Amino acid sequence: MTNSNDNKKSLKSFYWLWAILTALGIAVSLYAPGYLMPESMSQTMHLSVLTMVVFSVAAAPVAAGVYAAALYILRNWTHKGDSVPAAGPAFRESGKVVITWTLTSVLLTVFLLIWGLGALAADSAGSTANPLVVKVVGQQWVWSFEYQGQNGTTVMSNDLYLPKGREVLFHVTSLDVTHGFWAPQMGTQVDANDETITDLHVTPNKLGTFDVRCTQFCGLNHAFMVTQGHVLTPSAFTTWLNAQPARS
Amino acid sequence: MTTTLEHKAPVIKHEGGGLARHQNFLTAMIGGVAGAFIAWAISHHFFAQDVRTTSDAVAVLTGCGWIVGFWLGIGALNAPLAWLIGSDQTRKDQLYYAGEDQGTKRYWKYCTDHKVVGVQYIVMTMVLLGAGGILAMAIRTELIVPGNHFVDQQVYNGFIAVHGMLMILALIVAVAGPWGNFVVPIMCGAKDMAFPRLNALSLWTLVGAAGLLLTTLAVGSLTMGWVVLAPITDQAGVGMDFFALAILVFTVSTTVAGVNTICTVFTMRTKGMTLERLPIMVWGAIIAAALGLYAFPYFSLVEALQILDRTFSTSFFIGNAGGTGWLQANLFWLMGHPEVYVILIPAVAAVFEIAAVMARKPVFSYRTAVAGMVGLAGLSILVWAHHMFTTGWAPTLGGPFMVTTELISIPTGLFFLVLIGTLWRGNIWMKLPTVWVFGFIANFIIAGITGIYLSDIPIDNQLHGTMFVTAHFHYVFVGSVLFGAIGALAFWYPKVTGRYLDEKLGRISFWLSFIGVQVTFLAMFISGLRGMPRRYASYAFIFEHTNFISTMGAYMIMAGMLVLMGAVIYCWNHGEPSGSNPWHANSLEWLVSTPPPLENFDVLPVVTEDPYNFGKELVRS
Repeated sequence: MTNSNDNKKSLKSFYWLWAILTALGIAVSLYAPGYLMPESMSQTMHLSVLTMVVFSVAAAPVAAGVYAAALYILRNWTHKGDSVPAAGPAFRESGKVVITWTLTSVLLTVFLLIWGLGALAADSAGSTANPLVVKVVGQQWVWSFEYQGQNGTTVMSNDLYLPKGREVLFHVTSLDVTHGFWAPQMGTQVDANDETITDLHVTPNKLGTFDVRCTQFCGLNHAFMVTQGHVLTPSAFTTWLNAQPARS
Repeated sequence: MTTTLEHKAPVIKHEGGGLARHQNFLTAMIGGVAGAFIAWAISHHFFAQDVRTTSDAVAVLTGCGWIVGFWLGIGALNAPLAWLIGSDQTRKDQLYYAGEDQGTKRYWKYCTDHKVVGVQYIVMTMVLLGAGGILAMAIRTELIVPGNHFVDQQVYNGFIAVHGMLMILALIVAVAGPWGNFVVPIMCGAKDMAFPRLNALSLWTLVGAAGLLLTTLAVGSLTMGWVVLAPITDQAGVGMDFFALAILVFTVSTTVAGVNTICTVFTMRTKGMTLERLPIMVWGAIIAAALGLYAFPYFSLVEALQILDRTFSTSFFIGNAGGTGWLQANLFWLMGHPEVYVILIPAVAAVFEIAAVMARKPVFSYRTAVAGMVGLAGLSILVWAHHMFTTGWAPTLGGPFMVTTELISIPTGLFFLVLIGTLWRGNIWMKLPTVWVFGFIANFIIAGITGIYLSDIPIDNQLHGTMFVTAHFHYVFVGSVLFGAIGALAFWYPKVTGRYLDEKLGRISFWLSFIGVQVTFLAMFISGLRGMPRRYASYAFIFEHTNFISTMGAYMIMAGMLVLMGAVIYCWNHGEPSGSNPWHANSLEWLVSTPPPLENFDVLPVVTEDPYNFGKELVRS
C-alpha cells in the first residue's frame, strides 16, 4: 500500500511566504533594538546595539524560513478526515539538502563569529594611556565610587560622575558578596567580587544621566541596589571633583 | 565470592506476610520522618552548641537521616541487605517486587516493573511541575505591579531559588523519566530495564530529594537564585544545607537512571535490533543519559564541597579564607550547561519520533538526527564559561568560549532540518501530539536565535543578568522542552492507559499555553532589553507595562496547564478507548498489548527493519 499521491506541490507560495516573513523580520530587526534598548551613551553601547541589529538581520531569513516551512506544511499537507492517513513519500535522505543546509549554517555561524570577535577586539583595543581611574565598591546594598582628588586625596561619591570623551577605567570590587556592576546606557558590566578587583573600561560620549544597577543576585535588597550616573563636560567634571570634600 | 547453586533462602518465607510485603509510600514517609528525627535528636544532643557550624551540621545530618529512613521505609535496601546476610531473592520475590497481581497498589510501592516506574515518573513530573508552577505564579503575582506588595522580599528570594530548582529537576525527568522508562525498553525489545531495582531506586530517590527541596521552603532562610554560588551562600541559613543535600541526593538518582538506560539499550536489544534500527527516541534517551553521566558528578562535587565549607569550615569557595567563588562557578557551569541538553535532547528526540509517525514518513536523515544530538552533547561540555563572561574570570578566554558557544547553532540547525524534512510532503495527521510538535517548532526557533545574541560577548555584556536571559531560557524550557514533553505525553498516553488524552481539552490547553508563552516571554524579552535585571523583587516604573503583560501571560499558561492536568486525570479512566496502536505506528511498543503485560513480550520479537516504513502493513506474529 504505497501512496499514489507523491505530495509534490508548487513551492511558489512557500517562497512568497518566506520572502514576506523575512522582510518583516528584517524590518523589526532594524527598528526594535534601537527603540527598545536604553539610550546609547558610549561607543560600547553603540556597538552592542549595532551587533543586535546585525545578528537579527542575519537570523531573520532563517527564522522566517522555518516559520514559512511550518505554515506551508500546515496549509498543504495536513490529512483531512477521520481516517488513518496513508503513508507519505518514503524519502529518507537527501545529501544535497543536508549539505546545503549545513554549509549555510556554517557560513552564517562563521559570519557571526567574525563580526562578534571583531566587535570584541574593537572594544578591547580602545585603551588609552591615561584613563580616569574610578574605584567601584559594591556592598549590600549600595554602590560607592572613589576618585583620585587633588594632591593624592581620595574623593568618595554615591553617584557616579564621569567626564565626556575620556576613557574611564573602573576597578571593581566588593566588600561582601558578589554584585554585578552594570550601567545599561554604557552597554557594559562586570561582577564586583570580594577580595578581587575586576577591570572594566568605557568612554562616555554623551552628556546626561544614566542608571547603575546590580545584575548579580546579592540578597534581600538586590532590587534596590541602584544609583545614578552623570556624564559631565570635562570642565564641569573637574569643578565637581574639586568641590568634593577629601577623605583622609 | 561463590555461592552454591542449590542455595535458596527466600527473604520472606510465608506468602502475604512479612513486613517487607507492606512497604509503600506511607511507610517511606514514616521512615523518613523517623530517620530525620533520630538524626536530629542525636546530633542536636551531642554537638557543641557554641560552634558556628553546628546548626548546619545538624541540618545536614537530619537530611541524611530523612533519606536513609526513606530508603528503608520504601524497601529500597531490602534486597542488598538480604544479600549481605546471605539470602537471595527468589523468582517469586522478584515477581512480587515487579508488582505482579497487585493492581493499582503497586504504584505506591518500590516496584521494579519499568512501566510502573514510568507511570510513577509521570506523576512525579506533574507534582514537581505543579509545585514549581505555584511558585512561578507567586513570583509573577509579586511582579504584577512595581513595589513590594504580596510576598515578603525574603520569602520571594527563596521562591526564586526553589522555583528554579524544582523546574530543573522536573524537566530533567520530564521526558527521560516517563518515556525513557515506559517505552524505551519495549522499543528495544527488552523485557525490562537492565537493572530493575536500580530503576525503582532512581525514582524513589528523586521523591526523597524533592522532599528535601520542599523542606527548604519550610525552614526558609534561603536567599539566592537557584545557582546558589558563593560567597552569598555563606549568609544563608539551614535552608541552604537542605538545598545542597537535595541536589546531592538527586545526582544519585540521575546517575543510577543514566547507567540503567545505557546498559539497557546496549545489552538488552532484541534480535535484529541494530543501532541503526533503533527508534530515534532511544537515541535521545541514551545520548542524554551519557551526557548526564558526564555532567552530574560536577553537581555532586559542588554540593559536597559546599556542605564541607558549611559544616567543617573548609574554605573551598570562601574568598576571604583562601578559597574562591570562581572555583564553584566553574564547577557549577561545567554541570550547568550540559544539563540544559540533558533536558533538551530527550524532548527533541520525542518530537522527531512523533513527527515521523504523524507525518507517516521516515525520520528525515536519521544519521543527521543522531549526529546532531551527539554533536550538541559534545559541544555542550566545552561552553560552560559563557555563563561567566561578565564575572571577570579569565577575560582572555572570552573569545574561545564565544567560538564554541556559537558553534552550537550548527547542530541545533540540524534539528530543524530533520524536523522540517520529516514533515515535508507528509500526510500530516493533525492529532493532539502533532499540535504540540508544531508549537515546539515555533518556540524553539525563538529560543535558539535569542541564544545567539547571548553567546556574543559585546551583546552579553549588556544583556547578561537581565530578564532577557530569563526569557531566553524560558523559551527553551517552557516553550520547547515542556511542549515536546506534553507532545510525548499525548503521544504515549494511550499506551499507558489504553485511552486517548482528550483531543478537545488538549487543544484548549495548547492554545492557552502557546499564546501564554508568547505573551509572557516576549514581554519579558522587552523588560530585559529595556534594562531590567533578573531576580528583582520589585522594579522601576519604566518596566511596569511589560511586567503586567508577562504576569497576564503567566496566568494563561497556568490555565492551560490546569486544563491539561484535568484532562490527564479525567481521561485516565474515562477517556475514549484507543486500542493498542492508535497511531498505527510500527515501533515495538505499539505492537504489544495495552497495557503491556508484565515483562512485555511472551516471545521476544525479531526485528528486520527500522520502524519507519509506513507503507507496509504491520507484521505481527
